[in-house]
Amino acid sequence: MKKLLVTGVLASTALFLLGGCGSSSAKSNAASSSEKTSDGKKTIDFWSFWGSGARKEVIEEIIDDYNQSQDKIQVNYKYQPWGDIWTKSLSAITAGNAPDVIVQDINSVAQRAEAQQATNLSKYVDEETSKDFYPQLWDTVEYKGDPYAIPFNTDTQVIFYNKKLFKEAGIAEKDLPTTWDELEKTAHQLDKKDKKEFTRIGFYPLWNLGADVWALNADNGTSWFDQDDKIKIDTKNKVEALEWIQDWQDYYGKDTINKLEAEFGSGVSDPFISGLVAMRAQNINYYSSLMENAPEDFDFGVIPLPEKEKGSGHWSWGGGFVLEVPYGAKDPEASYDFIKYLSSPEVQEKFGEKSFDIMASKTANENLVKNEQLSDKGRMIYQMADENFKNTVITPVPLAAPDYTTLVNEQIDQILLGTKTPKEGLADAQKAVENLVKQNN
Amino acid sequence: MKRLSIRKKKEARWAYLFISPFIIGFVVFMLGPMLFSVIGSFTDYNLTSKMNFIGLANFRRMFLHDDLFWKSLYNTVYFVLFNVPLTTIFSVFLATILNQKIRGISIFRTMFYLPAVLSGVAVYILWMQLLSPSAGLINTFLGWFNISGPAWLFDPNWTKPALILMKIWSSGGAMLLYLATLQNVPRSLYESAAIDGAGVWGKFKNITLPLITPIIFYDVITSTIGSFQIFQEAYVMTKNGTGGPANSLLFYNLHMWNKAFVAFDMGYAMAMSMILFLIVLVLTFINLKLAPRWVYYSGGDGK
Repeated sequence: MKKLLVTGVLASTALFLLGGCGSSSAKSNAASSSEKTSDGKKTIDFWSFWGSGARKEVIEEIIDDYNQSQDKIQVNYKYQPWGDIWTKSLSAITAGNAPDVIVQDINSVAQRAEAQQATNLSKYVDEETSKDFYPQLWDTVEYKGDPYAIPFNTDTQVIFYNKKLFKEAGIAEKDLPTTWDELEKTAHQLDKKDKKEFTRIGFYPLWNLGADVWALNADNGTSWFDQDDKIKIDTKNKVEALEWIQDWQDYYGKDTINKLEAEFGSGVSDPFISGLVAMRAQNINYYSSLMENAPEDFDFGVIPLPEKEKGSGHWSWGGGFVLEVPYGAKDPEASYDFIKYLSSPEVQEKFGEKSFDIMASKTANENLVKNEQLSDKGRMIYQMADENFKNTVITPVPLAAPDYTTLVNEQIDQILLGTKTPKEGLADAQKAVENLVKQNN
Repeated sequence: MKRLSIRKKKEARWAYLFISPFIIGFVVFMLGPMLFSVIGSFTDYNLTSKMNFIGLANFRRMFLHDDLFWKSLYNTVYFVLFNVPLTTIFSVFLATILNQKIRGISIFRTMFYLPAVLSGVAVYILWMQLLSPSAGLINTFLGWFNISGPAWLFDPNWTKPALILMKIWSSGGAMLLYLATLQNVPRSLYESAAIDGAGVWGKFKNITLPLITPIIFYDVITSTIGSFQIFQEAYVMTKNGTGGPANSLLFYNLHMWNKAFVAFDMGYAMAMSMILFLIVLVLTFINLKLAPRWVYYSGGDGK
């Protein structure tokens, strides 16, 4: 009995020790054994956060197509939840056990390139590749002149408007607002009041769009940092943008806004579909939600964000995702072969057609404008997106201060709460971010 | 040093053998990483490409330049200062009430314990709805008394009180501990107190409270440590996990997380975790030193 106990305890301690110290050898074994399947194919792991709905279906279909199209590489699709995927991949990279291809955020490619979390793809990418993408998307994937990722999908901010309400208010298509002043005028034509309460809001700029986008729109497409990573927070145009937002706030009143926001938050009904809001500024992807939830006869149109004043530019903002080979992936060449497939115009078009995402490939979007499978509205959306991309700015994370948004948002919150004027708030934000940049140098 | 007899030695060997799974687990999964963070806090470690020794630069930066460090520390200390006493008082109060012998008491006990069983994120979402400024139950309730409630999670002055309110509501776990202890308080003490003419308050103050001080002590220490580690609440209940509005919910650990996983400044995050460790260590030490003055162990030798 005693002996049994001793062996048992010893065995369990041994297991513990093995688990703790033997992990590195165990890992490399697993990696090398999974490299080839029984039929001689290389196996690669692909991580994304598309775990449900149209995106999941279409990506699985595309992976199947790819696996059948050739006999060298077998792609394993691994869904990782949105909240975990990037921290998980970071620990996997640190542990030397990275996935082979991963869907990553477009704004932080250079940051990961600098920190050696992504593989330099210049060996595999040929000259022609970059030409198919919108140039501002391609800019984000380059670090010191070398590509570290390939753009996949993207988005851009626009304004959706309710055609029926516009007709009722007597606003013709040619009178659609193109400047901030016109937007205000149009919005107030659409407002409806019952005694003192608003029963319809023409437009409120912060519903589904951030103050940062309006600041960028006002300031010739310059975000908080300009192209050369100079801090451009406290500028005349941005101060005016926030003052303009405050005007809207004053007009509708904070109580009205808070009350309605709380109602929207409950998610019971979409205020744009129900007609409570006549215009809504949002990511163009909102179209897919309208397709799903709006009744058949709901008619809407899309216009670009208006310009601050005539000639200042209809600047908009976009984001998106890229395909990346994490640093230390076992076979970057195989990984890139799959990435190349995913970023080809045909596959891009297929993904767009099924998911209504705006794709990174310009050719794919141009083809989607003509795609027979899509409805008129769907084609119109791609048309709009393609045009809007001339004025769409992507705002990659500045390497000198990757976490600066915490500082800027604090000041914007204070401005919107009325505890600071736009001038004071943005001046403080400018100072705080300058301080952060100094700390990092 | 006294030499151990053979039998004692043998016994000691056995003891070590039996606790070895814990020791090994502790060394590999706790002590190892902790020592690594101590070392990392003096470097510019970023997880993947660099780990250069930079001396005290991280700490200097933290104390002299990083405003958000102070802001997050203030937010966290504010939370701890109110959360620990309030939840403790409330759970003692609740346990005393639920210690009555009336019909259906177990139903009430279950009801008050239930929040402690519910998983974190579900509770946070529920509370975000309860705290909704215009349509939320809490402000509706306040409205009945003609109090116009604050905007809670949207007003930087009310965000932390809102979280504390939620924490009080879910203090059922501690309540259960107190309840278990209360049941062990000998009936005879109350009976003799009643004979001496003590009232409800007198009994509570002179019998109940002293006898549960060990558990209060335990609860204060663990919930102080737990409160310093607050993170999830701020991550889930604020817009995009940013700790807003106006960084009023930017807690220490959230700032640390941002530094580690947004800025990849792991060395700095490790240095921050060292400071938090020191703060908690000192507080726990003070608590332990103060304990003999107010914690009463029955059956002990008076210590």
